[in-house]
Amino acid sequence: MSNMNLPETMIEVVDLHKRFKDLHVLKGISTVVKHSEVVAVMGPSGSGKSTFLRCLNRLEEPTSGRIYIEGVDIMAPYIDINRVRTEIGMVFQSFNLFPHLTAIENIKLAPMNVRKISNKEATERGMALLEKVGLAEKATAYPEQLSGGQQQRVAIARALAMQPQIMFFDEPTSALDPEMIGEVLDVMRNMAKEGMTMMVVSHEMGFIREAADRILFLADGLIVEDGTPDQIFNHSKHKRTIEFLGKIL
Amino acid sequence: MAMSLALLIAYALFLLPDKESAIPVWFYSSISFFIVLILAYSGSILADREKPEALKMGVAFMLIAVLGWLFHRYSGAQWHRLADFFFNWEKLEGNWWILWEGLGVTLFLAFISGIGSVVVGLLIAVLRTLNSPTMNFFLKVYVDVFRSIPMIVVMVIFFFAMPFMGISLGSIVSTVLALSLGYGAYASECFRAGIESVHSGQLEAARSLGLSRWKTIYKIILPQAIPVVIPPLTGTLVAMLKDTAVASVVAAPELLKRARELYTSETNPTPLVAAALIYLAVLIPLVRAVNMLENRMQKKRNE
Ligand SMILES: Nc1ncnc2c1ncn2[C@@H]1O[C@H](COP(=O)(O)OP(=O)(O)OP(=O)(O)O)[C@@H](O)[C@H]1O
Ligand SMILES: [Mg+2]
Repeated sequence: MSNMNLPETMIEVVDLHKRFKDLHVLKGISTVVKHSEVVAVMGPSGSGKSTFLRCLNRLEEPTSGRIYIEGVDIMAPYIDINRVRTEIGMVFQSFNLFPHLTAIENIKLAPMNVRKISNKEATERGMALLEKVGLAEKATAYPEQLSGGQQQRVAIARALAMQPQIMFFDEPTSALDPEMIGEVLDVMRNMAKEGMTMMVVSHEMGFIREAADRILFLADGLIVEDGTPDQIFNHSKHKRTIEFLGKIL
Repeated sequence: MAMSLALLIAYALFLLPDKESAIPVWFYSSISFFIVLILAYSGSILADREKPEALKMGVAFMLIAVLGWLFHRYSGAQWHRLADFFFNWEKLEGNWWILWEGLGVTLFLAFISGIGSVVVGLLIAVLRTLNSPTMNFFLKVYVDVFRSIPMIVVMVIFFFAMPFMGISLGSIVSTVLALSLGYGAYASECFRAGIESVHSGQLEAARSLGLSRWKTIYKIILPQAIPVVIPPLTGTLVAMLKDTAVASVVAAPELLKRARELYTSETNPTPLVAAALIYLAVLIPLVRAVNMLENRMQKKRNE
Protein backbone atom coordinates (compact mmCIF):
# COMPACT_ATOMS: atom_id res chain seq x y z
CA MET A 1 0.00 0.00 0.00
CA SER A 2 1.80 3.10 -1.12
CA ASN A 3 0.44 6.53 -0.53
CA MET A 4 1.95 9.55 -2.22
CA ASN A 5 0.94 11.94 0.56
CA LEU A 6 2.75 10.07 3.28
CA PRO A 7 6.43 10.72 3.88
CA GLU A 8 8.61 7.77 3.06
CA THR A 9 10.50 8.00 6.36
CA MET A 10 8.19 7.59 9.35
CA ILE A 11 10.71 7.51 12.19
CA GLU A 12 14.26 8.74 12.25
CA VAL A 13 16.39 8.37 15.35
CA VAL A 14 19.80 9.99 15.59
CA ASP A 15 22.26 9.14 18.35
CA LEU A 16 19.65 8.56 21.05
CA HIS A 17 20.96 8.36 24.62
CA LYS A 18 19.07 7.66 27.79
CA ARG A 19 20.48 7.63 31.30
CA PHE A 20 18.68 6.81 34.54
CA LYS A 21 20.95 8.58 37.02
CA ASP A 22 24.15 6.49 36.79
CA LEU A 23 22.68 3.83 34.54
CA HIS A 24 23.46 4.42 30.88
CA VAL A 25 20.66 2.44 29.21
CA LEU A 26 20.72 3.68 25.60
CA LYS A 27 24.19 4.51 24.34
CA GLY A 28 23.62 6.13 20.97
CA ILE A 29 20.92 4.52 18.90
CA SER A 30 20.40 5.60 15.29
CA THR A 31 17.97 4.07 12.83
CA VAL A 32 15.31 4.84 10.27
CA VAL A 33 11.90 3.24 9.94
CA LYS A 34 10.15 3.61 6.61
CA HIS A 35 6.47 3.80 5.86
CA SER A 36 4.67 0.44 6.19
CA GLU A 37 7.78 -1.17 7.58
CA VAL A 38 7.44 -3.72 10.36
CA VAL A 39 10.47 -3.61 12.62
CA ALA A 40 10.98 -6.19 15.32
CA VAL A 41 13.14 -5.19 18.28
CA MET A 42 14.88 -8.07 20.01
CA GLY A 43 17.52 -8.41 22.66
CA PRO A 44 18.21 -9.75 26.11
CA SER A 45 16.32 -8.55 29.16
CA GLY A 46 17.52 -5.18 30.35
CA SER A 47 19.09 -4.28 27.00
CA GLY A 48 16.84 -1.22 26.77
CA LYS A 49 14.13 -2.34 24.31
CA SER A 50 11.26 -0.88 26.29
CA THR A 51 13.20 2.25 27.08
CA PHE A 52 13.95 2.69 23.38
CA LEU A 53 10.28 2.52 22.36
CA ARG A 54 9.19 4.71 25.26
CA CYS A 55 11.70 7.38 24.29
CA LEU A 56 10.24 7.54 20.79
CA ASN A 57 6.96 9.02 22.06
CA ARG A 58 8.62 10.60 25.05
CA LEU A 59 6.87 8.53 27.68
CA GLU A 60 10.48 8.48 28.81
CA GLU A 61 12.45 11.71 28.39
CA PRO A 62 15.53 11.03 26.22
CA THR A 63 18.79 12.33 27.66
CA SER A 64 20.10 13.41 24.26
CA GLY A 65 19.71 12.74 20.56
CA ARG A 66 17.22 13.66 17.87
CA ILE A 67 13.94 11.96 17.06
CA TYR A 68 11.86 12.76 13.99
CA ILE A 69 8.35 11.36 13.69
CA GLU A 70 6.98 11.90 10.18
CA GLY A 71 9.62 14.55 9.75
CA VAL A 72 8.69 16.44 12.91
CA ASP A 73 11.48 16.98 15.42
CA ILE A 74 9.78 15.86 18.61
CA MET A 75 12.67 17.01 20.77
CA ALA A 76 12.08 20.61 19.71
CA PRO A 77 11.40 22.86 22.69
CA TYR A 78 7.79 23.85 22.09
CA ILE A 79 6.50 20.71 20.45
CA ASP A 80 3.02 19.61 21.49
CA ILE A 81 3.95 16.10 22.54
CA ASN A 82 0.32 15.05 23.00
CA ARG A 83 -0.26 15.71 19.29
CA VAL A 84 2.73 13.55 18.42
CA ARG A 85 1.48 10.78 20.68
CA THR A 86 -1.84 10.65 18.86
CA GLU A 87 0.17 9.61 15.79
CA ILE A 88 1.70 6.64 17.61
CA GLY A 89 -0.51 3.91 19.04
CA MET A 90 1.05 1.98 21.86
CA VAL A 91 0.25 -1.52 23.12
CA PHE A 92 1.68 -2.70 26.43
CA GLN A 93 2.61 -6.05 27.84
CA SER A 94 0.11 -5.63 30.69
CA PHE A 95 -2.72 -4.34 28.43
CA ASN A 96 -3.39 -1.33 30.69
CA LEU A 97 -7.05 -1.11 29.79
CA PHE A 98 -8.97 1.38 31.94
CA PRO A 99 -10.74 -0.92 34.43
CA HIS A 100 -13.57 1.49 35.20
CA LEU A 101 -14.65 1.67 31.56
CA THR A 102 -16.24 -0.92 29.25
CA ALA A 103 -14.43 -2.11 26.15
CA ILE A 104 -16.19 0.36 23.88
CA GLU A 105 -15.74 3.19 26.39
CA ASN A 106 -12.03 2.41 26.55
CA ILE A 107 -11.89 2.77 22.80
CA LYS A 108 -14.02 5.93 22.61
CA LEU A 109 -12.28 7.85 25.38
CA ALA A 110 -9.33 9.27 23.48
CA PRO A 111 -11.12 10.02 20.18
CA MET A 112 -13.81 11.93 22.06
CA ASN A 113 -11.53 13.76 24.48
CA VAL A 114 -8.53 14.39 22.27
CA ARG A 115 -9.88 14.40 18.73
CA LYS A 116 -13.18 15.86 19.97
CA ILE A 117 -15.33 13.74 17.72
CA SER A 118 -18.96 13.11 18.65
CA ASN A 119 -20.11 10.23 20.80
CA LYS A 120 -22.10 8.80 17.89
CA GLU A 121 -19.19 8.82 15.49
CA ALA A 122 -16.80 7.50 18.12
CA THR A 123 -19.19 4.66 18.91
CA GLU A 124 -19.54 3.75 15.23
CA ARG A 125 -15.80 3.76 14.70
CA GLY A 126 -15.20 1.94 17.96
CA MET A 127 -17.65 -0.80 17.01
CA ALA A 128 -15.99 -1.17 13.62
CA LEU A 129 -12.65 -1.63 15.36
CA LEU A 130 -14.06 -4.17 17.80
CA GLU A 131 -15.45 -6.00 14.79
CA LYS A 132 -12.01 -5.97 13.27
CA VAL A 133 -10.37 -7.54 16.33
CA GLY A 134 -13.26 -10.00 16.57
CA LEU A 135 -14.83 -8.70 19.78
CA ALA A 136 -17.97 -6.87 18.68
CA GLU A 137 -20.09 -8.88 21.12
CA LYS A 138 -17.87 -7.80 24.05
CA ALA A 139 -18.42 -4.07 23.58
CA THR A 140 -20.09 -3.56 26.95
CA ALA A 141 -17.88 -5.92 28.92
CA TYR A 142 -15.51 -4.52 31.53
CA PRO A 143 -11.83 -5.48 31.25
CA GLU A 144 -12.04 -7.80 34.27
CA GLN A 145 -14.70 -9.80 32.40
CA LEU A 146 -12.35 -10.41 29.46
CA SER A 147 -9.58 -12.94 29.01
CA GLY A 148 -6.02 -11.72 28.59
CA GLY A 149 -6.09 -12.20 24.84
CA GLN A 150 -9.39 -10.36 24.58
CA GLN A 151 -8.09 -7.51 26.72
CA GLN A 152 -5.03 -7.17 24.53
CA ARG A 153 -7.18 -7.08 21.39
CA VAL A 154 -9.34 -4.34 22.94
CA ALA A 155 -6.14 -2.50 23.81
CA ILE A 156 -5.07 -2.71 20.17
CA ALA A 157 -8.47 -1.43 19.05
CA ARG A 158 -8.15 1.42 21.57
CA ALA A 159 -4.80 2.41 20.12
CA LEU A 160 -6.13 2.15 16.56
CA ALA A 161 -9.10 4.36 17.40
CA MET A 162 -6.84 7.41 17.29
CA GLN A 163 -6.03 6.47 13.70
CA PRO A 164 -2.29 6.53 14.33
CA GLN A 165 0.27 6.33 11.55
CA ILE A 166 2.58 4.18 13.64
CA MET A 167 2.00 1.38 16.15
CA PHE A 168 4.37 0.37 18.95
CA PHE A 169 4.03 -3.01 20.66
CA ASP A 170 6.05 -3.74 23.80
CA GLU A 171 5.96 -7.50 24.33
CA PRO A 172 2.24 -7.67 23.54
CA THR A 173 1.99 -11.43 24.07
CA SER A 174 4.39 -12.06 26.96
CA ALA A 175 1.67 -11.84 29.60
CA LEU A 176 -0.68 -14.16 27.74
CA ASP A 177 -1.42 -17.85 28.15
CA PRO A 178 -0.07 -19.75 25.13
CA GLU A 179 -3.51 -20.49 23.68
CA MET A 180 -4.27 -16.76 23.49
CA ILE A 181 -1.09 -15.62 21.81
CA GLY A 182 -2.32 -16.63 18.36
CA GLU A 183 -5.42 -14.45 18.39
CA VAL A 184 -3.38 -11.36 19.22
CA LEU A 185 -0.68 -12.13 16.67
CA ASP A 186 -3.38 -12.64 14.03
CA VAL A 187 -4.65 -9.11 14.61
CA MET A 188 -1.11 -7.78 14.38
CA ARG A 189 -0.42 -9.74 11.22
CA ASN A 190 -3.47 -8.21 9.58
CA MET A 191 -2.36 -4.74 10.56
CA ALA A 192 1.03 -5.39 9.01
CA LYS A 193 -0.66 -6.57 5.79
CA GLU A 194 -2.74 -3.39 5.68
CA GLY A 195 0.44 -1.36 5.64
CA MET A 196 0.71 -0.09 9.19
CA THR A 197 4.16 1.06 10.24
CA MET A 198 5.01 -1.04 13.28
CA MET A 199 7.75 -1.43 15.85
CA VAL A 200 7.34 -4.62 17.83
CA VAL A 201 9.35 -5.73 20.84
CA SER A 202 8.73 -9.45 20.80
CA HIS A 203 10.38 -12.81 20.87
CA GLU A 204 7.68 -14.60 18.88
CA MET A 205 9.97 -16.06 16.24
CA GLY A 206 7.20 -17.34 14.00
CA PHE A 207 5.48 -14.01 13.86
CA ILE A 208 8.70 -12.10 13.32
CA ARG A 209 9.91 -14.40 10.58
CA GLU A 210 6.62 -14.03 8.78
CA ALA A 211 5.61 -10.42 9.39
CA ALA A 212 8.75 -8.44 10.13
CA ASP A 213 10.73 -6.70 7.42
CA ARG A 214 13.67 -6.05 9.71
CA ILE A 215 15.01 -6.97 13.08
CA LEU A 216 16.93 -4.59 15.32
CA PHE A 217 18.99 -6.58 17.75
CA LEU A 218 19.76 -4.58 20.90
CA ALA A 219 22.35 -5.43 23.49
CA ASP A 220 23.77 -3.20 26.20
CA GLY A 221 22.00 -0.13 24.86
CA LEU A 222 23.30 -0.40 21.31
CA ILE A 223 21.98 -1.84 18.06
CA VAL A 224 24.42 -4.69 17.53
CA GLU A 225 22.68 -6.00 14.45
CA ASP A 226 20.15 -4.70 11.95
CA GLY A 227 18.88 -6.97 9.20
CA THR A 228 16.11 -9.09 7.74
CA PRO A 229 14.78 -12.00 9.79
CA ASP A 230 16.59 -14.41 7.48
CA GLN A 231 19.93 -12.62 7.93
CA ILE A 232 19.58 -12.48 11.70
CA PHE A 233 18.06 -15.88 12.37
CA ASN A 234 20.08 -17.89 9.90
CA HIS A 235 23.24 -16.05 9.04
CA SER A 236 24.15 -13.96 12.09
CA LYS A 237 27.87 -13.53 12.68
CA HIS A 238 27.46 -11.77 16.03
CA LYS A 239 28.32 -13.65 19.16
CA ARG A 240 25.65 -11.83 21.25
CA THR A 241 22.92 -12.53 18.73
CA ILE A 242 23.75 -16.19 18.27
CA GLU A 243 23.99 -16.68 21.99
CA PHE A 244 20.63 -15.01 22.58
CA LEU A 245 18.84 -16.82 19.77
CA GLY A 246 20.24 -20.08 21.07
CA LYS A 247 18.60 -19.36 24.39
CA ILE A 248 15.13 -18.48 23.18
CA LEU A 249 14.80 -21.15 20.51
CA MET B 1 -21.29 -25.54 82.54
CA ALA B 2 -22.85 -22.10 82.30
CA MET B 3 -25.45 -23.16 84.81
CA SER B 4 -22.87 -24.21 87.36
CA LEU B 5 -21.02 -20.93 86.85
CA ALA B 6 -24.21 -18.98 87.44
CA LEU B 7 -24.95 -21.01 90.57
CA LEU B 8 -21.44 -20.39 91.84
CA ILE B 9 -21.78 -16.66 91.31
CA ALA B 10 -25.19 -16.57 92.92
CA TYR B 11 -23.91 -18.45 95.93
CA ALA B 12 -20.92 -16.14 96.28
CA LEU B 13 -23.08 -13.04 96.05
CA PHE B 14 -25.46 -14.49 98.58
CA LEU B 15 -22.61 -15.00 101.02
CA LEU B 16 -21.27 -11.48 100.51
CA PRO B 17 -21.49 -9.46 103.68
CA ASP B 18 -22.74 -5.90 103.98
CA LYS B 19 -20.20 -3.18 103.69
CA GLU B 20 -20.58 -2.01 107.26
CA SER B 21 -20.80 -5.30 109.05
CA ALA B 22 -17.75 -6.65 110.81
CA ILE B 23 -16.29 -9.55 108.94
CA PRO B 24 -14.19 -12.36 110.26
CA VAL B 25 -10.98 -13.11 108.44
CA TRP B 26 -11.98 -16.65 107.48
CA PHE B 27 -14.87 -15.16 105.61
CA TYR B 28 -12.64 -12.92 103.55
CA SER B 29 -10.46 -15.79 102.59
CA SER B 30 -13.36 -18.00 101.56
CA ILE B 31 -14.97 -15.22 99.56
CA SER B 32 -11.69 -14.50 97.78
CA PHE B 33 -11.52 -18.18 97.04
CA PHE B 34 -14.94 -18.01 95.42
CA ILE B 35 -14.00 -14.98 93.39
CA VAL B 36 -10.82 -16.60 92.18
CA LEU B 37 -12.84 -19.66 91.28
CA ILE B 38 -15.38 -17.61 89.35
CA LEU B 39 -12.65 -15.75 87.48
CA ALA B 40 -10.81 -18.94 86.64
CA TYR B 41 -13.99 -20.65 85.56
CA SER B 42 -15.24 -17.84 83.32
CA GLY B 43 -11.71 -17.35 82.02
CA SER B 44 -11.58 -20.96 80.93
CA ILE B 45 -14.93 -20.59 79.16
CA LEU B 46 -13.91 -17.37 77.40
CA ALA B 47 -10.60 -18.83 76.27
CA ASP B 48 -12.15 -22.03 74.92
CA ARG B 49 -12.35 -21.94 71.13
CA GLU B 50 -14.93 -24.70 71.07
CA LYS B 51 -17.53 -22.91 73.18
CA PRO B 52 -20.32 -21.10 71.33
CA GLU B 53 -20.01 -17.31 71.07
CA ALA B 54 -23.46 -16.80 72.59
CA LEU B 55 -22.30 -18.53 75.77
CA LYS B 56 -19.14 -16.42 75.91
CA MET B 57 -21.22 -13.28 75.46
CA GLY B 58 -23.43 -14.35 78.36
CA VAL B 59 -20.46 -15.12 80.59
CA ALA B 60 -18.81 -11.79 79.73
CA PHE B 61 -21.96 -9.84 80.59
CA MET B 62 -22.36 -11.84 83.76
CA LEU B 63 -18.82 -10.98 84.82
CA ILE B 64 -19.37 -7.30 84.09
CA ALA B 65 -22.57 -7.40 86.12
CA VAL B 66 -20.86 -9.08 89.04
CA LEU B 67 -17.98 -6.63 89.03
CA GLY B 68 -20.42 -3.72 88.74
CA TRP B 69 -22.40 -5.08 91.63
CA LEU B 70 -19.30 -5.50 93.76
CA PHE B 71 -18.28 -1.93 92.92
CA HIS B 72 -21.73 -0.68 93.79
CA ARG B 73 -21.71 -2.50 97.08
CA TYR B 74 -18.25 -1.57 98.33
CA SER B 75 -17.08 1.61 96.59
CA GLY B 76 -19.34 3.96 98.47
CA ALA B 77 -20.56 5.53 95.21
CA GLN B 78 -23.47 7.83 95.86
CA TRP B 79 -25.68 7.01 92.93
CA HIS B 80 -28.58 9.22 93.99
CA ARG B 81 -26.48 12.32 94.19
CA LEU B 82 -24.81 11.44 90.92
CA ALA B 83 -28.19 11.06 89.25
CA ASP B 84 -29.50 14.28 90.78
CA PHE B 85 -26.49 16.13 89.60
CA PHE B 86 -25.65 14.74 86.18
CA PHE B 87 -28.97 13.38 85.02
CA ASN B 88 -31.28 16.09 86.23
CA TRP B 89 -33.43 16.24 83.10
CA GLU B 90 -35.75 18.82 84.67
CA LYS B 91 -32.99 21.35 84.24
CA LEU B 92 -33.29 20.90 80.50
CA GLU B 93 -37.01 21.43 80.32
CA GLY B 94 -37.68 24.30 77.95
CA ASN B 95 -33.98 24.41 77.09
CA TRP B 96 -33.76 21.56 74.59
CA TRP B 97 -34.18 23.96 71.67
CA ILE B 98 -30.89 25.59 72.65
CA LEU B 99 -29.12 22.25 72.23
CA TRP B 100 -30.90 21.58 68.92
CA GLU B 101 -29.83 24.99 67.71
CA GLY B 102 -26.29 24.15 68.77
CA LEU B 103 -26.48 20.85 66.91
CA GLY B 104 -27.69 22.74 63.84
CA VAL B 105 -24.63 25.00 63.98
CA THR B 106 -22.36 22.02 64.54
CA LEU B 107 -23.74 20.22 61.48
CA PHE B 108 -23.54 23.41 59.44
CA LEU B 109 -19.90 23.95 60.42
CA ALA B 110 -19.10 20.32 59.65
CA PHE B 111 -20.84 20.50 56.27
CA ILE B 112 -19.13 23.66 55.06
CA SER B 113 -15.75 22.66 56.46
CA GLY B 114 -16.24 19.20 55.00
CA ILE B 115 -16.61 20.68 51.52
CA GLY B 116 -13.70 22.98 52.27
CA SER B 117 -11.36 20.21 53.35
CA VAL B 118 -12.28 18.00 50.39
CA VAL B 119 -11.52 20.87 48.02
CA VAL B 120 -8.24 21.69 49.78
CA GLY B 121 -7.26 18.02 49.99
CA LEU B 122 -8.05 17.29 46.36
CA LEU B 123 -6.21 20.40 45.22
CA ILE B 124 -3.08 19.47 47.17
CA ALA B 125 -3.16 15.85 46.02
CA VAL B 126 -3.61 16.84 42.36
CA LEU B 127 -0.86 19.45 42.57
CA ARG B 128 1.42 16.79 44.00
CA THR B 129 0.90 14.61 40.94
CA LEU B 130 2.66 17.30 38.91
CA ASN B 131 5.86 16.14 40.63
CA SER B 132 7.42 19.57 40.84
CA PRO B 133 10.05 19.32 43.58
CA THR B 134 9.68 22.96 44.62
CA MET B 135 5.91 22.83 44.85
CA ASN B 136 6.01 19.46 46.58
CA PHE B 137 8.33 20.93 49.20
CA PHE B 138 5.85 23.65 50.10
CA LEU B 139 2.86 21.32 49.94
CA LYS B 140 4.63 18.87 52.26
CA VAL B 141 5.45 21.66 54.70
CA TYR B 142 1.82 22.72 54.66
CA VAL B 143 0.49 19.21 55.20
CA ASP B 144 2.97 18.38 57.94
CA VAL B 145 2.44 21.65 59.78
CA PHE B 146 -1.32 21.36 59.79
CA ARG B 147 -1.22 17.73 60.78
CA SER B 148 1.06 18.58 63.70
CA ILE B 149 -0.70 21.60 65.21
CA PRO B 150 -3.69 20.91 67.43
CA MET B 151 -6.87 22.17 65.80
CA ILE B 152 -7.60 24.36 68.82
CA VAL B 153 -4.37 26.32 68.27
CA VAL B 154 -5.20 26.97 64.63
CA MET B 155 -8.63 28.25 65.58
CA VAL B 156 -7.26 30.47 68.29
CA ILE B 157 -4.73 31.91 65.86
CA PHE B 158 -7.40 32.68 63.28
CA PHE B 159 -9.77 34.12 65.84
CA PHE B 160 -7.53 35.98 68.27
CA ALA B 161 -4.30 36.67 66.38
CA MET B 162 -5.54 37.66 62.95
CA PRO B 163 -7.33 40.77 64.24
CA PHE B 164 -3.88 42.13 65.19
CA MET B 165 -2.99 41.97 61.52
CA GLY B 166 -6.11 43.88 60.67
CA ILE B 167 -8.07 40.82 59.63
CA SER B 168 -11.12 40.19 61.74
CA LEU B 169 -12.77 36.90 61.11
CA GLY B 170 -15.90 35.97 62.98
CA SER B 171 -15.97 32.82 65.05
CA ILE B 172 -17.81 30.91 62.34
CA VAL B 173 -15.41 31.93 59.57
CA SER B 174 -12.39 31.22 61.77
CA THR B 175 -13.72 27.77 62.54
CA VAL B 176 -14.55 26.93 58.93
CA LEU B 177 -11.15 28.17 57.78
CA ALA B 178 -9.26 26.34 60.48
CA LEU B 179 -11.14 23.08 59.95
CA SER B 180 -10.94 23.28 56.15
CA LEU B 181 -7.21 23.98 56.12
CA GLY B 182 -6.43 21.52 58.91
CA TYR B 183 -8.57 18.64 57.74
CA GLY B 184 -7.71 19.52 54.13
CA ALA B 185 -4.19 18.40 55.05
CA TYR B 186 -5.54 15.06 56.29
CA ALA B 187 -7.86 14.74 53.30
CA SER B 188 -4.95 15.36 50.92
CA GLU B 189 -3.20 12.33 52.37
CA CYS B 190 -6.32 10.22 51.75
CA PHE B 191 -6.47 11.44 48.15
CA ARG B 192 -2.77 10.92 47.65
CA ALA B 193 -3.00 7.32 48.82
CA GLY B 194 -5.91 6.79 46.43
CA ILE B 195 -4.11 8.36 43.50
CA GLU B 196 -0.99 6.33 44.21
CA SER B 197 -3.07 3.16 44.27
CA VAL B 198 -3.80 3.64 40.57
CA HIS B 199 -1.39 1.49 38.59
CA SER B 200 1.32 3.42 36.74
CA GLY B 201 0.40 1.56 33.54
CA GLN B 202 -2.89 3.47 33.53
CA LEU B 203 -1.01 6.73 33.36
CA GLU B 204 1.20 5.44 30.56
CA ALA B 205 -1.76 4.22 28.54
CA ALA B 206 -3.48 7.59 28.95
CA ARG B 207 -0.36 9.51 27.99
CA SER B 208 0.35 7.31 25.00
CA LEU B 209 -3.14 8.10 23.72
CA GLY B 210 -2.33 11.80 23.82
CA LEU B 211 -4.62 12.67 26.72
CA SER B 212 -3.68 15.92 28.39
CA ARG B 213 -2.55 15.92 32.01
CA TRP B 214 -5.86 17.24 33.31
CA LYS B 215 -7.95 14.89 31.20
CA THR B 216 -5.81 12.03 32.50
CA ILE B 217 -6.42 13.05 36.10
CA TYR B 218 -10.10 13.72 35.56
CA LYS B 219 -11.01 10.79 33.30
CA ILE B 220 -8.59 8.07 34.33
CA ILE B 221 -7.03 8.62 37.74
CA LEU B 222 -9.80 10.11 39.85
CA PRO B 223 -12.52 7.62 38.79
CA GLN B 224 -10.22 4.82 39.94
CA ALA B 225 -8.92 6.62 43.02
CA ILE B 226 -12.26 7.82 44.43
CA PRO B 227 -13.60 4.40 45.50
CA VAL B 228 -10.32 3.80 47.31
CA VAL B 229 -10.44 7.26 48.87
CA ILE B 230 -14.03 7.23 50.11
CA PRO B 231 -13.63 5.10 53.28
CA PRO B 232 -10.60 6.91 54.78
CA LEU B 233 -11.95 10.27 53.65
CA THR B 234 -15.28 9.63 55.33
CA GLY B 235 -13.38 8.67 58.47
CA THR B 236 -11.47 11.93 58.32
CA LEU B 237 -14.68 13.91 57.88
CA VAL B 238 -16.29 12.16 60.85
CA ALA B 239 -13.26 13.08 62.95
CA MET B 240 -13.72 16.63 61.73
CA LEU B 241 -17.37 16.65 62.76
CA LYS B 242 -16.23 15.63 66.24
CA ASP B 243 -13.59 18.34 66.23
CA THR B 244 -16.15 21.07 65.57
CA ALA B 245 -16.55 20.97 69.36
CA VAL B 246 -13.21 22.75 69.56
CA ALA B 247 -14.91 25.77 68.01
CA SER B 248 -16.47 26.47 71.39
CA VAL B 249 -13.20 28.07 72.47
CA VAL B 250 -13.65 30.78 69.86
CA ALA B 251 -17.29 31.10 70.91
CA ALA B 252 -18.86 29.66 67.81
CA PRO B 253 -22.39 28.85 68.97
CA GLU B 254 -22.17 25.12 68.25
CA LEU B 255 -23.47 22.26 70.36
CA LEU B 256 -20.78 22.14 73.04
CA LYS B 257 -20.73 25.93 73.43
CA ARG B 258 -24.50 26.09 73.86
CA ALA B 259 -24.38 23.19 76.33
CA ARG B 260 -21.74 25.02 78.33
CA GLU B 261 -23.88 28.14 78.39
CA LEU B 262 -26.71 26.10 79.85
CA TYR B 263 -24.31 24.48 82.30
CA THR B 264 -23.41 27.94 83.58
CA SER B 265 -26.91 29.38 83.67
CA GLU B 266 -28.46 26.28 85.27
CA THR B 267 -25.42 25.57 87.47
CA ASN B 268 -25.86 21.93 86.58
CA PRO B 269 -23.83 19.67 84.26
CA THR B 270 -26.81 17.77 82.85
CA PRO B 271 -26.73 19.82 79.60
CA LEU B 272 -23.17 18.60 79.05
CA VAL B 273 -24.30 15.03 79.51
CA ALA B 274 -27.13 15.69 77.07
CA ALA B 275 -24.64 17.15 74.57
CA ALA B 276 -22.45 14.07 74.95
CA LEU B 277 -25.44 11.85 74.24
CA ILE B 278 -26.35 13.92 71.17
CA TYR B 279 -22.78 13.62 69.86
CA LEU B 280 -22.99 9.88 70.41
CA ALA B 281 -26.33 9.61 68.65
CA VAL B 282 -25.00 11.48 65.61
CA LEU B 283 -21.53 9.98 65.44
CA ILE B 284 -22.10 6.30 66.21
CA PRO B 285 -24.12 5.69 63.01
CA LEU B 286 -21.50 7.60 61.02
CA VAL B 287 -18.64 5.65 62.56
CA ARG B 288 -20.50 2.41 61.79
CA ALA B 289 -21.06 3.58 58.22
CA VAL B 290 -17.35 4.29 57.77
CA ASN B 291 -16.60 0.84 59.08
CA MET B 292 -18.99 -0.73 56.59
CA LEU B 293 -17.45 1.21 53.74
CA GLU B 294 -14.00 0.04 54.77
CA ASN B 295 -15.13 -3.57 54.97
CA ARG B 296 -16.77 -3.40 51.58
CA MET B 297 -13.59 -1.92 50.11
CA GLN B 298 -11.53 -4.65 51.73
CA LYS B 299 -13.81 -7.32 50.27
CA LYS B 300 -13.55 -5.80 46.82
CA ARG B 301 -9.79 -5.76 47.07
CA ASN B 302 -9.74 -9.41 48.08
CA GLU B 303 -11.90 -10.48 45.16
N1 LIG C 1 12.34 4.35 35.26
C1 LIG C 1 13.53 3.73 35.39
N2 LIG C 1 14.39 4.13 36.35
C2 LIG C 1 15.59 3.53 36.50
N3 LIG C 1 16.03 2.53 35.74
C3 LIG C 1 15.21 2.08 34.76
C4 LIG C 1 13.92 2.65 34.55
N4 LIG C 1 13.33 2.01 33.51
C5 LIG C 1 14.21 1.07 33.12
N5 LIG C 1 15.34 1.11 33.85
C6 LIG C 1 16.53 0.25 33.67
O1 LIG C 1 16.97 0.37 32.36
C7 LIG C 1 17.42 -0.87 31.86
C8 LIG C 1 16.68 -1.20 30.57
O2 LIG C 1 15.32 -1.43 30.87
P1 LIG C 1 14.25 -1.81 29.77
O3 LIG C 1 12.97 -2.00 30.46
O4 LIG C 1 14.31 -0.82 28.67
O5 LIG C 1 14.82 -3.20 29.26
P2 LIG C 1 14.13 -4.24 28.29
O6 LIG C 1 15.10 -4.51 27.22
O7 LIG C 1 12.78 -3.75 27.89
O8 LIG C 1 14.03 -5.51 29.22
P3 LIG C 1 12.86 -6.58 29.32
O9 LIG C 1 13.08 -7.57 28.22
O10 LIG C 1 13.07 -7.19 30.67
O11 LIG C 1 11.56 -5.86 29.20
C9 LIG C 1 17.17 -1.89 32.96
O12 LIG C 1 18.40 -2.11 33.61
C10 LIG C 1 16.20 -1.21 33.86
O13 LIG C 1 16.42 -1.61 35.19
MG1 LIG D 1 10.76 -4.34 28.35
